[in-house]
Amino acid sequence: MNKQIVLIRAVILIVMLGAWEIVGRTANPALYVPPSAAIPALGRLLTLHSYPDLLEHLLLTLREILIAYAMAIAAGLGAGFALGVNRLVGRAYGPILAALYAVPAVVWYPSLMLFFGLDAASKIAFGFLLGFFPITLAVLAGIRQVNPQLLVVARAFGADGVTAFRKVTLPAMLFTLVGGLRTGLALAVIGVIVGEVLGSKSGMGSLINHAYGLFRTPDYIALVVVTLVLIVGSDAVAALLERRAQRWTE
Amino acid sequence: MHDLIVVEGVSKRYVTSSGPVDALRDVSLSVGTGEFCTLIGPSGCGKSTLLGILGGLVGADDGRVAIDGRPVDGPDPRRVATVFQDPGLFPWRTTLENVEFGLELQGMPAARRRRVATDLLGPLGLRDFAAKYPRELSGGMRQRVAIGRALAIDTPIVLMDEPFGALDEQTRVLMGEWLLEIWRRTRKTIVFVTHSLHEALALSTRVVIMTARPGRIKSVLELPMPYPRAMESPELVGLRAKLWSDIRDESLRAMQ
Amino acid sequence: MNETVRVRVVQLLSVAALLIAWEAVARAGWVDPLFVPAPSAVARALGRIGAAALAGLGETLLKAAIAYVLAVVIGVGGGILLGSVRPLRQAVNPFVIALYGMPKILVLPWIMLFLGFGATPAVVYATIHGVFPILVLVTGAVRDVDATLVTVARAFGARRWQLYWKVVLPAIVPTVLAGMRLGVVFCLLGVLVVEMFAGLRGMGYVLSSLANGFQAPELFAATALVSAASIVIVLSLDALNDRLSQWRGDLR
Repeated sequence: MNKQIVLIRAVILIVMLGAWEIVGRTANPALYVPPSAAIPALGRLLTLHSYPDLLEHLLLTLREILIAYAMAIAAGLGAGFALGVNRLVGRAYGPILAALYAVPAVVWYPSLMLFFGLDAASKIAFGFLLGFFPITLAVLAGIRQVNPQLLVVARAFGADGVTAFRKVTLPAMLFTLVGGLRTGLALAVIGVIVGEVLGSKSGMGSLINHAYGLFRTPDYIALVVVTLVLIVGSDAVAALLERRAQRWTE
Repeated sequence: MHDLIVVEGVSKRYVTSSGPVDALRDVSLSVGTGEFCTLIGPSGCGKSTLLGILGGLVGADDGRVAIDGRPVDGPDPRRVATVFQDPGLFPWRTTLENVEFGLELQGMPAARRRRVATDLLGPLGLRDFAAKYPRELSGGMRQRVAIGRALAIDTPIVLMDEPFGALDEQTRVLMGEWLLEIWRRTRKTIVFVTHSLHEALALSTRVVIMTARPGRIKSVLELPMPYPRAMESPELVGLRAKLWSDIRDESLRAMQ
Repeated sequence: MNETVRVRVVQLLSVAALLIAWEAVARAGWVDPLFVPAPSAVARALGRIGAAALAGLGETLLKAAIAYVLAVVIGVGGGILLGSVRPLRQAVNPFVIALYGMPKILVLPWIMLFLGFGATPAVVYATIHGVFPILVLVTGAVRDVDATLVTVARAFGARRWQLYWKVVLPAIVPTVLAGMRLGVVFCLLGVLVVEMFAGLRGMGYVLSSLANGFQAPELFAATALVSAASIVIVLSLDALNDRLSQWRGDLR
């Protein structure tokens, strides 16, 4: 990699951390926590001193994400194919879906909280809602970008509808689909976390809320770091799978 | 006839991922005013690079290039206009607006620009397409717009890099005839790059044959015959044979 | 019946069927009206809270608009800068991608610690939310401007500023519009999140307090209202996009 680029990145990082450190030391300790104070807080968190039931909350958040995502995949694939395969259905409901996508998803959340309460169910529902759209849209886009010439060729070789779908359409759209699945995961994660922060009694988001409410800023930063690791980790796994799919289709 | 374009000992080397490549080596050439000079040669012989150097878009490593006595050190839209194989029309501009482009860059007032561009549409055969966008035009039409854009700035020299390369054969022949008409009317100096023997013989006053990479001038063919050219005449048939034999060796060498 | 008509018929019938079924189910008592109110109840509730809801919506839209302007200016400006200067773009890219992918809500508490309550944290947060998609899109568009067009412009003697003004900017207009369309939803979302989180005046607060008060018909009505507003805004942007993109034909 180009040395100049690495240098610029290093400079940016150093400047950011340095500024954070300096500002942190000279200003209000409740707000401006320097990296030097955040790191011990992280240690306290990971050794379960500051929040002894950290693992429970972490696992709960993970569970919510997995369930929301699984539902989003099922519904997303179903809706996507239903809309994509039948032309009339697709043209009728596609615009409705697109219109709903234009609404900031968080407006649905109070209704979900009303219906499901403050427990995991509303977070799962919200994560599902956020993850569902990109998957459906990816299925639609994937189907649409399949070169129709390929299907003509398949028919010329005697393939019927189902076979053509399995052997031509599906592989041809796999790459787009996997991209949508990856986005869907990222959004499901965001949905669950936003739901937890906006109102819940358990889960990583609720811990963050708790630390913020008590002005325990170092702990709050440590919790954010742990949550970020969770998020980055899940996206890294998704990226890995996406690359595997890329190798198949190219 | 005074030499408008003078190229002396020009070399150009590119650094690629697989090592340095000599595109041109010690090329010398001169083009007189009012000539239609064609550069022809196998793929990779550097003819496009040479054109780029003439147009000031590419810098030569060695040698000198002078236009009208002045050395070339960058694009000079007062003296040289370029037409590329990809017409490169701005998709968000109408035909008229595309033709006006060069004039706009030079700061010509809008009303005058419009007049100049509109007057050109007639000879370009695009009068009914003034308000159309490139996506509504055929390949041949788009190239005519690109040529119109080059003609609009009224430079003494027009460089053309395989302008008809992407067109089908019938369109190519017709475009060639049309180009000749434009050239005879405007009396410009044209440097034309092509692969096509037919185009070289039908259009040029002089054909410069280049070797395979690294490109040098292999030979020069003068074509003083009148227009339109009688391509089946014994003279031209003989020239075609000579041209082909010169190029054939180079093409074979380029393929290795 | 041609296809467009058939499409419309299917859409209208579906919506009507849904509303009728919903109303019937609610009236038959199959669902608890506390959680799922009948459409008729929602309609009545809309009349009751209409004024208050609109006031809240206005608050929210005002903050979102300010954030939006900021996000567009920073996003487009930054995108042009990053798209043009290759070493800078490559150096900054991992940071941008990391920040783009991070749920911004994680830093919301910190922003509120700095900026307190009120419109400022809402606008700042919403701006951050809206900036990233625009920045990423515009950077890509500037980077991917057709090289032939740039060569042509240079061949005709374009100076640096002319290259930007006459080639790069017109070329990236479709992407800027796409980014702006995304940005609207993101900025609105950002403002709503902050209002819900911090109890600020605005639609977010209206929605969450109606939810806390178990006022289901009013909540549905308010949700419908803000959804409709959002859809109208986005559709208007789409219409604008279409008008400005005539030269692209059906490429959208």
